[in-house]
Amino acid sequence: MDPLVLRELMSGLQSDHEQGESPGVRLCRACVDLIDVSSAGIMLRDDADNGTSLGFSDDVAGKVEDLQFTLGEGPGIDAHAFGRPVLGPRLDTPDRSPWPTFGPAAVSAGVLAAFGFPLRVGVIRLGSLDLYNGRSGDLHALQLADAIAMADVVTNAVITVQESAGAGSLADEMDNPGDLRTAVHQASGMISRQLDISIGSALLRLRAYAYAEGRSINDVAQNVVTRQLRFD
Amino acid sequence: MTQREEILARAFVDVADTLVADFDVVDFLTVLAMRCVELFELSEAALLLADPQRGLQVAASSSHEMYVLELFEVQHEDGPSVDCYRLGEPVLCDDLHTALARWPRFARKALDSGWTSAHALPMHLRNDLIGSLNLLRAETGSLPDTDLVAAQALADVATIGILQHRAAEEHRLLAEQLQYALHSRVAVEQAKGVLAEHTGLDMDDAFSALRQYARNHNVGLVVLAHAVVERRIPLAEIRQ
Repeated sequence: MDPLVLRELMSGLQSDHEQGESPGVRLCRACVDLIDVSSAGIMLRDDADNGTSLGFSDDVAGKVEDLQFTLGEGPGIDAHAFGRPVLGPRLDTPDRSPWPTFGPAAVSAGVLAAFGFPLRVGVIRLGSLDLYNGRSGDLHALQLADAIAMADVVTNAVITVQESAGAGSLADEMDNPGDLRTAVHQASGMISRQLDISIGSALLRLRAYAYAEGRSINDVAQNVVTRQLRFD
Repeated sequence: MTQREEILARAFVDVADTLVADFDVVDFLTVLAMRCVELFELSEAALLLADPQRGLQVAASSSHEMYVLELFEVQHEDGPSVDCYRLGEPVLCDDLHTALARWPRFARKALDSGWTSAHALPMHLRNDLIGSLNLLRAETGSLPDTDLVAAQALADVATIGILQHRAAEEHRLLAEQLQYALHSRVAVEQAKGVLAEHTGLDMDDAFSALRQYARNHNVGLVVLAHAVVERRIPLAEIRQ
């Protein structure tokens, strides 16, 4: 990893923090440059497996991150759940893809290889760094090493940002309603009430509907929140 | 390797243990104190650490008697360890008989126990001063320079270990806080949805109703949000 580029990243993160900006996009773009992949995204997940996006490097990554949220399946989700890197170098080969639904959908979006790296502090799991490539194939050993190192950098950046917030509340830089998938959680609440089911089941219903309609979970959630769509 | 070199080497290796999750500062420093006694042929050794809230504490000592003396020193702010911490520099006294004016209480008590020389070394790393290492002997005279250098090196290495451990703990704490903050944020949004659906209010008004209820009933917003989402509270109560 080029130490000069890393140093630039660090000072860029510092100025983001000083200006109250989210480090997400900068971190993702740095990953793309430093690790040499097509695109990158960062997901934050809590211990109940609710997810939010910290950022993505470009539209393709944004779309594919969204797929993971909508389908509840993918490299970031697995990396977070298992606490270790999860590699999907050949999404275009159906029997070689670990994700029966996410795989083909990602390929349609132009991503042929996807890799997830957990963001962890000891046993505490915070989310994942997701890397995407437009060509299928494994990451080289050096890329793997760099990816693991960058996952650490991302974790540290996220924690540093959080340090400025009070205990119990989310730091301003990460408190962005769009990124936080606010609509998805609000919609889940509404659906749980409409159908008189648990919040977990409500999220599953939302997800299933989005998948069946071929739409992003965020879009469907927006319709629910604006009362254009009901589930009962 | 001589036996002395072996003991010294082992003391340095011990510092690697500071990164282990169940690292115990008191255990670590007690072993260090005893190694110092062995290595430098001392009567006693003790380590003081500064606690942000409670001030200087006796973290470890080579015996109970030494512990009592150091406690005495801290409580009366009278003695070489306390001065060493205050100054951030070594405080060396070859003969405690000459220190009765400087440390009236400490010198008297130490001499009564048969200890006649004291050497206190700071535990510091760059701008962080975290405490001091105190070495007591039953003879007068100064420790040889090589011993002082080795003792300071041990103090330095112990300092690094403790600071690393503290940083790791803080890191872990922040990660936990982040996890909790994310989870709480989600719960609050979910609760807004539940209430909005029940009342027909929009999200902002639903949020206000939740906050109002939380304030009126002296309940945390996050606690309330969880209760709403898990249906442990009748929603009619919240609409005001």
